[in-house]
Amino acid sequence: MSRRKAPTVKEDVTCNLIPMIDIMFLLLLFFMLSADMTQREFEDVVLPSADQVQEVPKDKTAGEETTTINIYHRPDSATFTCPLYAHGSLCRDPSHWIISVRSAEYTPDTIRDQIRNEAEASLEAEVDPEAGKRMSARKVIIRADHMAPYGDIQKILQYCGEFGIYKIEVAAAAPTKA
Amino acid sequence: MAGASIGDNEENPVAINVTAMVDVIFCLCVFFMCSLHFRQLEGKFDTWLPKGKGSAGVGDSVIQEIRVAVYWDEPNGRVVRQLGNRMIANDEELQALIAEAHADFVKLNKPDTPVTIDADARVPWSEVINIVNICKRDQIDKIEFAMGAGPPQ
Repeated sequence: MSRRKAPTVKEDVTCNLIPMIDIMFLLLLFFMLSADMTQREFEDVVLPSADQVQEVPKDKTAGEETTTINIYHRPDSATFTCPLYAHGSLCRDPSHWIISVRSAEYTPDTIRDQIRNEAEASLEAEVDPEAGKRMSARKVIIRADHMAPYGDIQKILQYCGEFGIYKIEVAAAAPTKA
Repeated sequence: MAGASIGDNEENPVAINVTAMVDVIFCLCVFFMCSLHFRQLEGKFDTWLPKGKGSAGVGDSVIQEIRVAVYWDEPNGRVVRQLGNRMIANDEELQALIAEAHADFVKLNKPDTPVTIDADARVPWSEVINIVNICKRDQIDKIEFAMGAGPPQ
């Protein structure tokens, strides 16, 4: 009797990459679509909280010319630190507060020229009978830190009024639901 | 994973080496994951400025308003709020007083009487927004901002 050799099974262990690639493509698509490329307009600002604040639908503001003015405290870095702000106390050092429009930094005095330019760039076609001049169709959104000095916001409102910008919105954070 | 490919080399002579593609997609995934920023849910308060008046003042007309004065008490490091001559202790009291004053003006057939927020320049912005929020809770839409405030009486 001849001994029969047990048949050997050749197993080819390969890694099927197709499902992984599919999932990674989906993840990539998700992250690409959710990436907010408009963040330059919106700085990281700790907004004051308000429960009556209304979320403005994006389609309602579509096509409107807007300027977002951010007012925030200079963030801590290797060369700069503010112990007052870091501990939640009121910092009233004017050099610590930044006013920015599209990532360009201004002071409460230099922002005046910027607001004038923004206002003049989108003047309404006709003279407003109430104001006796051409108003600006531009909307200004003020995004100020909750600890920002009210004086800075006052100045911006004053400049807006001076240059015919009457559409103003102030941003506030909706409280997080428990 | 070197040499990983789609398709069996024996069955399909045209195999695609996907290793490089997987590496690139990994890198892209990591990049977008790191740049993902969950934005805080935020909304807006409409605060349209008057077209004719601006910040030029109210002229000679009789001032009829509900004025909330907000001061910064430097020695104690706190905010002091005042409605008329009355010092306000908390938000509930302020809301009740504003509602009461507004109801009085409604009775006088002047429902458009504004709430004027007269805050010191050093006051934190959150305190001003808090008063705007209280007015909105009382269904008052006409809110004005005064330019500057004097020292407390």
